Amino acid sequence: MSVTFSAPTLETARLILRAPELSDFDALAAFYASPRAAFVGGPQSRELSWRSLALEAGHWVLRGFGRWTLVEKASQAPVGIVGLWHPEGFPENELGWDLFDGATGKGYATAAAIAARAYAYDTLGWTTLTSLIAVGNDGSRRVAQRLGATYDSDFTHDRFGSMQLWRHPGPEALA
Amino acid sequence: MITLTGTPTITTERLTLRAPLPQDAPTFVEFYKTDRAQYVGGPKDDRRGWEFFCTEIGHWVVRGYGMFVVTYTGDDTPLGIIGHWNPKTWPEQEVGWVIFDPAQEGKGVAFEAAKAVIDYTWTTLKWDTIVSYIAYPNTRSIALAERLGAVRDESAEVPGTAYVYRHPRPTA
Repeated sequence: MSVTFSAPTLETARLILRAPELSDFDALAAFYASPRAAFVGGPQSRELSWRSLALEAGHWVLRGFGRWTLVEKASQAPVGIVGLWHPEGFPENELGWDLFDGATGKGYATAAAIAARAYAYDTLGWTTLTSLIAVGNDGSRRVAQRLGATYDSDFTHDRFGSMQLWRHPGPEALA
Repeated sequence: MITLTGTPTITTERLTLRAPLPQDAPTFVEFYKTDRAQYVGGPKDDRRGWEFFCTEIGHWVVRGYGMFVVTYTGDDTPLGIIGHWNPKTWPEQEVGWVIFDPAQEGKGVAFEAAKAVIDYTWTTLKWDTIVSYIAYPNTRSIALAERLGAVRDESAEVPGTAYVYRHPRPTA
């Protein structure tokens, strides 16, 4: 029996962006068990990481959009999660990015975020987009800056703590 | 719109069991804010309840099976959520049940739905064994497990603290 949902697939030069699936679990759990997950609610157990994976899939069905697993074309390995995110408790639609260990420094987050942002503006017709970045997550802040986003306001999330809300250039500014 | 495909529907004399839909979220989230949710991982605030509902839907995607929303046939109001649950690190696959509104208790809805799910589990999913994990002292849930013929298995591994009830295999 196969239960699926019809998430779109995106592509960049080096990445495929596809819906999250069970085969992503080990990579996702390793990420959430690592210190790199400190800014996104981790480190967390395998049990909670499995629930996070299911949450990623369920978000697509509940909201009609979600985050993609980044698959590195060269290795076929899942290397991160990037996409459109608006769980209960977030102030606005978000563009978020998490890269797994070993995938940083290659421009993957930026490339995938550009593809996801274009999908939000061109296909979903969104007019604005934010990114919530935990205070101290300098790597993520630099990605936001590379994407042309600017600091907008402070936000406190009940799980992630003190965050900055960064706002992306809108579709007209990018056109 | 992004929809789940490939999920089954189960019907009984009075009930239709279908996969969760986005419009069920408010009922689910409201239930999880109440003390009635204390034996099933709650109470949870709005954020946690919503995230958990996402997980309920996502369970279908990552496992191929999951929890059904129970409705009266012809009335799509969600009465409860009953079905299969097996997060990654649980020792066994479970059949679980929740009735949202206490006004819907005492009508045999949970029994009728759980019975249908268990029959489906043996005949279609062909599981080798079925357990229900029940937090103590959820006496209503224990009574339902016993009415379904399940027997407490004190030797089974438990996720957290719960009683393990094992359902009897049908004798063909």
